[in-house]
Amino acid sequence: MEGRPEDVELFARAQRGDTAAYEEIVQRYQQLAFRTAYVITGSAAEAEDAAQEGFVKAYRALATFRAGAQPRPWLLRIVANEARNRVRSAARRHQLELRVAEGFRPGDAAPSPEAAAVAAEDRRRLLGAVNELSEEDRQVINCRYFLELAGDETAATLGILEGTVKSRLSRALARLRARVEGGAPGTGSARPGAPRGDVPPQEEGSRA
Amino acid sequence: MPELTELEARLTQLAPELDWPTTPDLSHSVSVRITMRRAWYQSRWAIAAAAAIVALAALLAYAPARDTIAGWLNLHTRIQRVGQLATPTPQPPGPLGQRLGLGGLTTLEQARGALTWTVLVPSSLGQPDEVYLQLPPIAPPQGEVTLVYSERLGIPTSGQTGVAVLVTEARGAVNAQFFGKILGPATTIEDVTVGGHHGYWIAGKPHIIYLTDTQGNIRDETLRLATNTLLIDEGGTIVRIEGDLTKAQVLQIAASL
Repeated sequence: MEGRPEDVELFARAQRGDTAAYEEIVQRYQQLAFRTAYVITGSAAEAEDAAQEGFVKAYRALATFRAGAQPRPWLLRIVANEARNRVRSAARRHQLELRVAEGFRPGDAAPSPEAAAVAAEDRRRLLGAVNELSEEDRQVINCRYFLELAGDETAATLGILEGTVKSRLSRALARLRARVEGGAPGTGSARPGAPRGDVPPQEEGSRA
Repeated sequence: MPELTELEARLTQLAPELDWPTTPDLSHSVSVRITMRRAWYQSRWAIAAAAAIVALAALLAYAPARDTIAGWLNLHTRIQRVGQLATPTPQPPGPLGQRLGLGGLTTLEQARGALTWTVLVPSSLGQPDEVYLQLPPIAPPQGEVTLVYSERLGIPTSGQTGVAVLVTEARGAVNAQFFGKILGPATTIEDVTVGGHHGYWIAGKPHIIYLTDTQGNIRDETLRLATNTLLIDEGGTIVRIEGDLTKAQVLQIAASL
């Protein structure tokens, strides 16, 4: 994902000490940063703290940002690292449970009530299946499809290599497909707090 | 695989329908915080950077110093000598691994299983009390492990780290730098050899240490003051031993790796 020229200019100004430019960077990226932290922490409050701390740390580290580099992976790495640190030090871990927004209607069609109900059930089942995957699988799918991050941005967010993103995503999609098509027990009926795969003490994936 | 392509399309279509929590407006709170910190932040880097440039230029102009710098690079460490050492802000409270940017808490066995190279443990210190693992892209290309030792006989708890001894080990590509040090005038550095392996002993007044990621960016959370440190190349593994240690003590620890 290409960084827009305005981003490059904003970062250059911020590096020269222009705090107004950095404030604009925060406004521009705060939704992405917050949602990224939310995907990792599973808590809106933790995500807000992590995103805020990430932006402060990024400002302090602006001198290390290389001119012309893409700002999104750089920012995401810092925010995600902060979010992961909070998860590691938290007394209890929040379970991320994404949901389809109430009342959402696709804008390109006016389906019959029956068709709309079928489509809504299809979306609910798919999201339920995603929510029931292991944390590792969910995170890579959330990053790529729900946060719509590029491969290098996903790698920066998850603290793994880009090649590992591809292999991990491939495995996660295969497991998701098996759940959706195979109707694995519990598919589509996400249960808050239901046990999921054990969370490893440290991300794998440095040697894919 | 067409099935996956279809599944990916369905996932992509789902993205705008998700019910995300409302994004808070962070710009004001961040702006307040960076404005408050601006004075010390700019001062610290301005002093360190200006002094480092002058000192480095002086070192490079002196032939023997060039050899020394080349030696430092072989330890994957960039060392800068400055005329005045600015003091980083105190480390925030929190768990040790987070406070010092060591990575995730793990076990020695798990760390060994996750890395392709041999993690060395100094027998003179016994088993570490805690083990942390950091992987790329935050850590060097082949990962980084830190062994943490609480107070040992004759080795007090360090005021800089809150533990007695930190042993950090990493391997990286040739020319990659993943440790950085900024030394003030009251910090000494000298060549040492342990078991035929070359290294440097940095002692005296605390110096600034920072770690970098695979992109060469400073890992901001790791910028802190460090106490006496031995850097040594153990057959390609860069070992960093830090603590309120005497030279004799650190050499004994290194010899037991």
